[in-house]
Amino acid sequence: MSHIIKVIDGLLFIPKKELSILEALESQKVQAEYQCRQGFCGLCQVKLLDGEVEYTMEPIAYTNESNILPCCCKPASDIVIQLPQGCEFLN
Amino acid sequence: MKYTTFNREQFNVFKQPMFFGENVNVSRYDMQKHPVFEKLIEKQLSFFWRPEEIDLSQDRSDFQSLSKNEQHIFLSNLKYQTLLDSIQGRSPNIAFLPIVSLPEVETWIETWAFSETIHSRSYTYIIRNLLNDPSVVFEDIVGNKEISARANDISHYYDDLITYISIYQLHGEGIHQIKGKAIEVSLQLLKEKLYLTLVSVNVLEAIRFYVSFACSFAFAERSLMEGNAKIIKFIARDEALHLAGTQHMLQIMANGKDDPDMQKIAYKLKNQARDIFIQAAEQEKQWAKYLFHHGSMIGLNSTILEQYIEYITNQRMQTLNLEPIFEKRHNPLPWINSWLSSDQVQVAPQEVEISSYLIGQINNDVYKDEFSSFSL
Repeated sequence: MSHIIKVIDGLLFIPKKELSILEALESQKVQAEYQCRQGFCGLCQVKLLDGEVEYTMEPIAYTNESNILPCCCKPASDIVIQLPQGCEFLN
Repeated sequence: MKYTTFNREQFNVFKQPMFFGENVNVSRYDMQKHPVFEKLIEKQLSFFWRPEEIDLSQDRSDFQSLSKNEQHIFLSNLKYQTLLDSIQGRSPNIAFLPIVSLPEVETWIETWAFSETIHSRSYTYIIRNLLNDPSVVFEDIVGNKEISARANDISHYYDDLITYISIYQLHGEGIHQIKGKAIEVSLQLLKEKLYLTLVSVNVLEAIRFYVSFACSFAFAERSLMEGNAKIIKFIARDEALHLAGTQHMLQIMANGKDDPDMQKIAYKLKNQARDIFIQAAEQEKQWAKYLFHHGSMIGLNSTILEQYIEYITNQRMQTLNLEPIFEKRHNPLPWINSWLSSDQVQVAPQEVEISSYLIGQINNDVYKDEFSSFSL
């Protein structure tokens, strides 16, 4: 079943199943921070306000308890996330 | 407290803090208080690489074609990288191993420092390839005023901690007369020094390295010095992992999940930690000015590099729950991310897709009847 991603103050969409949350945000042209894309640099972290995610790769970077690493997880239910810099779109 | 290479006491490792508890004894990894360090070790081992795997023959002719100011930028940048890894190749071992109390943290420190020595070996490989006389570069690292100012900024926290640990190991806590000077040593003071050293190492790996990475990748964006950039890409991947290591140490301390004293210290020294970030960002801006003082290069100048310093400093401070110091901005060098993302690190041809490839993996779940359809 597909899950909905809601980005606070931004958009609501159903991503393609095979995409990580980071890739899903990029597919919607949302400005998202990233660096290693493998769960150890921690730069991409966003706040998970509601819902659950499933990691496809073991995350190693330090994150605050409410944060997730979108580069290496997918939604496991409908989710609500908040980006640290707010929801902005690429030109 | 005297250091012993094999502690004869029986104790519960789960009750030990990361540092300043019992000296470690059996290097066992089946029981771990902080399993994240085991994950870091495994990741680092899976990243293993050697500079000789990368061909630098094109870089030599590229270097000859660079203008004088570009050569200055390239070599100064390499000198700085050499300095950073010279310090990081030895200091974690000397400073942290005598005081570490958990085997997984001990082995992470050793694995971390070892990978820095590969970085140092890479610089020798790169410089030898570029210049007939590598000494011109290496000797200037000690002689050059700008570089030695950097060396002082970086090493003084380490040096101070190492001195106090030596005194503590020889004389224990108390006020000691050493060479006619009264020096007070207490566990509290040592823990404070440890905390600040970890913050300064975090800054080194979180900010200082990235200034140099930006320069290396800026050349490669113009299809110049690409062999060098490939090596720096491997180094950047390692550094992101080391950064995760110090971030975990600092956060474990701040969360009180390890040593209650450390939690208080993290709170007490919050402003000092912040100052270390502010100072480092300023020093790196100075360095950016020095790099480009003969002129800038296509794609990078001191203004953009200074903006990048502000951006990366803010990001790193946020991770440690510190209030960012600079105005919020987007990454002024968006192209750098394609060099820093490790899913694009080119590995050996047979493992193009996964860079954290494990050697010697065999599938043992194959039974005789799976061959039943085969006949000879």
